[in-house]
Amino acid sequence: MKLSSRIAGGLVVACALAVSISGCSGGGQTGTQASTDSSADTAAYTLVEDGKLIVASDLANAPLDFVEEGTSDPQGFEVDLINAVADELGLECEYLPAMKFDTILPLIEQGGRADVGVSNITITDERSEQVDFTDSYMDSNQGLVTLTSAGDVTEESLNTEGTRIAVQAGTTGASWVEESLPNAEVVSLDDPVVAITGVQSGLYQAAVADLPVMQYLCSNSFTDCKVAIEIPTGEQYGIAVNKDNPGLTEAINGALATLEENGTISELEVKWFGTEL
Amino acid sequence: MQHRRWTLLAALALALTGVFALAAPQPARALTTEKATARPNEDGGSGVIGGMDTRLTWEGTVEDGEEVTSVTLTLPEGASFDHSTTRITALEGLSRMDVTGTATPSGSSITVTFDQTVPAGSLLRLEITNMQFPAAGGGVVVSGSYQTGDGSHELADSEPIATIANTPLQSIVNWLDQQPWVQAWNSNQFLGMFLRPQLLVTSFASLAPGWILCLGIVVAAYPFAIALGLLFAMLKISKWRVLRAIAIVYINILRGTPLFLQIYIMFFGLPMVGINIDNNLLGIIVMAINSSAYLAEIFRAGIQSIPQGQYEAASSLGMNYVQTMFSVILPQTVRRVIPTVTSDFITAFKDTSLLSSVGVMELMMFSKNLTTVTGNITPYVAAGIFYLIVTLPLIKVVGTIEENIARSERGGGPRPRPRRRAEVADGAAERMKEAEAAEGASVSAAVAGVSALLASPNARAKEASDVC
Repeated sequence: MKLSSRIAGGLVVACALAVSISGCSGGGQTGTQASTDSSADTAAYTLVEDGKLIVASDLANAPLDFVEEGTSDPQGFEVDLINAVADELGLECEYLPAMKFDTILPLIEQGGRADVGVSNITITDERSEQVDFTDSYMDSNQGLVTLTSAGDVTEESLNTEGTRIAVQAGTTGASWVEESLPNAEVVSLDDPVVAITGVQSGLYQAAVADLPVMQYLCSNSFTDCKVAIEIPTGEQYGIAVNKDNPGLTEAINGALATLEENGTISELEVKWFGTEL
Repeated sequence: MQHRRWTLLAALALALTGVFALAAPQPARALTTEKATARPNEDGGSGVIGGMDTRLTWEGTVEDGEEVTSVTLTLPEGASFDHSTTRITALEGLSRMDVTGTATPSGSSITVTFDQTVPAGSLLRLEITNMQFPAAGGGVVVSGSYQTGDGSHELADSEPIATIANTPLQSIVNWLDQQPWVQAWNSNQFLGMFLRPQLLVTSFASLAPGWILCLGIVVAAYPFAIALGLLFAMLKISKWRVLRAIAIVYINILRGTPLFLQIYIMFFGLPMVGINIDNNLLGIIVMAINSSAYLAEIFRAGIQSIPQGQYEAASSLGMNYVQTMFSVILPQTVRRVIPTVTSDFITAFKDTSLLSSVGVMELMMFSKNLTTVTGNITPYVAAGIFYLIVTLPLIKVVGTIEENIARSERGGGPRPRPRRRAEVADGAAERMKEAEAAEGASVSAAVAGVSALLASPNARAKEASDVC
């Protein structure tokens, strides 16, 4: 087992070398990118597939990342953003099929299938032990959703035995509920849409997920639900990159800075949130 | 919401100070402790264990007209902030402000000095990762002090955080953490990701209730599934077209759609029409209904594999249809379908995993939660082992039964000793008496004899080909 894994490891290294060499000899694009970025080592990153930036996401967090009804194309703020980043790096952006949120970080940590995880992932110190994060591209908070007919709720009124609160597994929303409402029962589900569907049908008293997502869902699809409590957490989203690939983190940071400077990010914010954040 | 509460409280405090203007005024607090919480760090549990790394989250609001330059949080003796990292968040309403700072741990307290002053009216959050609470456990109160422009002030005590002392299970895990072979094992990426020993230990302990629930659901559902399945099998072979149609629709829809969809419809649809059933009970109902469709087909095939000659034989003995069914056909069917039904039971047992998608706390749900917390796949492997504990013996049972049936169908297996003609005649007389005494039990044997007499060579060939 050990021996074969070493061989596999060797193969991976060999592939990585091949990719980086071909990346260098491929030349033009990476070269120009490096020069605009004023640091030469930004080009030294490895990709799963040459010339492609492969993205892992749960695609279940409208308006950040989602799949519109009737189409199969991922879209949303983050999708536009990572496409712009890929453009900056001279790469083609490719999305993996939607996966569960709690599998994205292990997948990136493991490496070999996706280059980056972009799925409104909050930068936390625990997660930073698993993966590297790029600079933050957006600030966020948590939102707690109930039925509109439920009236006023408070943290105290929800922190009771028998209260069931739906969350998306592995999110900061989930750990907020575990920590702040220890008496309530946490129900971990696959995505915020399932959670809010459960609230709508009366299965759960409340659902907690990222505020922009909850606001979007409540005003677009689940009009009989409302954001009852806005939870100020001030968390920041970052793009997750494998720890063995610091060059890619650097390169994406460079691209994000450029996009911030030339106003692309503000444009995207207006496009998806109606206002600059 | 919180802010409104605090302004209310502040108003109340003002009113009180107005009333008791002569009494000694409370020292004004510029930084009010909102709350202090800790992240559960019990592997597979929800407790906060002392002496092990966890995360402390402390929140406070800066009152009007004040600015805070540093905060010191103090925990009881025995707590440790060594090797911790601190994340500072300052918020005005919901928007994040640029506040950075440095954290300096010293024993059981930590001082966070801000590069910029934290302005009035803002919510300050400190998340201190990889700190440890006192190993003894108990209610831990966060106290401390803070610096404003005009000096140092005491911080109000937080509500106590409930912590517990180390558990035996956790001690095993901590012991495993120290072992060199465990470290070597985990350094292999695959083994560390799928078969991490520490996580196997905690998974087995914390998955057990989920496993019991899985078994409970399928064991409780199966008798109903068998009854329902039998009912629909009977309907499907009924003479009446309407009954057949009902059975065909029921069986085909349930067999033709994913169980996942059926679960969704039942769990999200029923509450919408005002029917609220306990989740576990609903799980049993869904599994029973789903299995019943498969069982109906199995039973139908089983019943139809019994050769036509036996019906003729039974009616020649003067039995009506119901008698024929219950004392001749079904007893033989049961024997033939046992292996297939057991296979279906295995499938149903594994299918309970789908219930995790709607929040039933079964095996997969527990492993999902554990995987979430640990970022490791091992809990799923542990769940797989739990499934195998049930399925492997059952698979063995199916194999054995199939072998026995095959042998007896071939004509092998135990058979009566050869007897002399006179003995056979005596036996027949005896059998007549038995038949009078206990009709149901022996009638089927008699019928089998008669059917053998009646069966033409053609019917025999059919019997052989119909065996399911």
